[in-house]
Amino acid sequence: MADIATRAWDAVAGLATGLGVTIKAMVDRKNTVKYPIEKVNVSPRWHGLLALPVDPTIGNDLCIICFQCERVCPSRCIHIEATGRAKDRVLTRFDIEMDKCQYCGLCVEVCPTEAIVFIPHYEASTFNRGNLLYDLDDLHRAAPKEPIAHGVVGVKRR
Amino acid sequence: MALRTEELMLNMGPQHPSTHGVLRLVVTLDGENIVEVLPDIGYLHSSVEKMMEYRTYLQNVALTDRGMDYLTAMANEEGYLLAVERLGGIAVPPRARWLRTIMLEFQRLSSHLVWLGTWGIDLGATTVFLYCFRERERILDLFEQVTGGRLHHVYFRPGGVYEDLPAGWTDRALAFCDEFPGRLQEYHDLLTGNPIFLARVQGVGVLPRQSAIDMGACGPVARASGINFDVRKVFPYEAYGEIDFDVPVYEAGDCFSRYMVRMDEMRQSVRIIRMAIERLPAGEIRSKVQVNVKLPRGEVYSRSESPRGDLGVYLVSDGKDMPYRVKIRAPSFANLFALTEMMRGWKVADVIAILGSVDIVLSDVDR
Repeated sequence: MADIATRAWDAVAGLATGLGVTIKAMVDRKNTVKYPIEKVNVSPRWHGLLALPVDPTIGNDLCIICFQCERVCPSRCIHIEATGRAKDRVLTRFDIEMDKCQYCGLCVEVCPTEAIVFIPHYEASTFNRGNLLYDLDDLHRAAPKEPIAHGVVGVKRR
Repeated sequence: MALRTEELMLNMGPQHPSTHGVLRLVVTLDGENIVEVLPDIGYLHSSVEKMMEYRTYLQNVALTDRGMDYLTAMANEEGYLLAVERLGGIAVPPRARWLRTIMLEFQRLSSHLVWLGTWGIDLGATTVFLYCFRERERILDLFEQVTGGRLHHVYFRPGGVYEDLPAGWTDRALAFCDEFPGRLQEYHDLLTGNPIFLARVQGVGVLPRQSAIDMGACGPVARASGINFDVRKVFPYEAYGEIDFDVPVYEAGDCFSRYMVRMDEMRQSVRIIRMAIERLPAGEIRSKVQVNVKLPRGEVYSRSESPRGDLGVYLVSDGKDMPYRVKIRAPSFANLFALTEMMRGWKVADVIAILGSVDIVLSDVDR
């Protein structure tokens, strides 16, 4: 009889301790954000979308067409073409297939002029797979093709 | 008149919600008792070993993150890079070695937290999951500030690490280390004192010491069966040789021991992180290694302690800038097949409790 009483007391005490933890968490500070309405801040090193930002001093991107990023990419998702020789060489194509990209950052690492960079955008989702091919214009603009997070859940646009 | 009975074959998976991925268990039942369990794997095969033969040594770092154990990206990078650095004779500066140690221990914490949370859900304790992921989120934030990635970091490089710590990071990490033991106590309050939880795990799924050795079990599963073996202690790599920490060992070999081993390991990880941050030397973080590094002809086997156990990488080089062959000895694979020993004779309701306690990741099993 005493044994059953001890076991019952242990059970009640164990459950009460657990309940105490949940009550403590209930009055503790909030840990979540209402995502599409509130945004999460990402760190400056965030591996987000890739971009070739336009440098205001020269009015163009800093790419010197060395093909290093194309070569180092493990997913082979960067495609570069160029015409002209020596100083007149211009980019005719700089496509990144963002659906293949694994955000490893090796292209950013090998780039000698820091032309290709990560930007702190994380909302690249889209309804159309074709939208995930980022061409030179998209990369210069350095923003997601289709800011979509508001549309998905039907939150009122602000 | 004796009742005529016959055995029943039950398929669990591959879409079973509690199998932690796509694993199919072929369970032979006699009434409610398990006669035999055969894990059927291969549903998540990503052929990462073959893909590694067509990528350079640097590119493979990005591949190990995703193709192997996706919960412990940096532990995979470590296992692979230990092999590369040993074969190529690439020196790692001291600061990089200590940085790697800090990151690996944080990775162990985050992996164990996922395990504890999901196992809690398996056993019907949904609350633990929410609390574990609350702390894990803090760790992922710390990772994000250093590496830029939350799950797939690509932080380690042949001969060092990619970037140094950002300003103020060590303070934030130490603040987490101060807070975490209290959180660990909360998990203990929720689970270790809970009679329902104890009834489901204590004495269930016993793996005897000799069976654990025979089946090649490793990591926390082996340590719960009384085998005092931790690669960090036996074959120290990175800075583990210079750090003082304990290896928790339990004798019983049941689900509860496996739980306690991991809980104690988390406490030790916090201790290692604190010590490593305290003693973090200044200096270089990366030795000069060219992008397309060529390794000399030869072969090497490296082993490291991933959160799931003994991770071995066997690497053969034929002198080119890509490996000739990479064989990964995955800890989840060895532990998964120790499952057949653990489950024999238990009830069908214990399958999920035992499977969860082994902590397998299916992409690690299949590679």
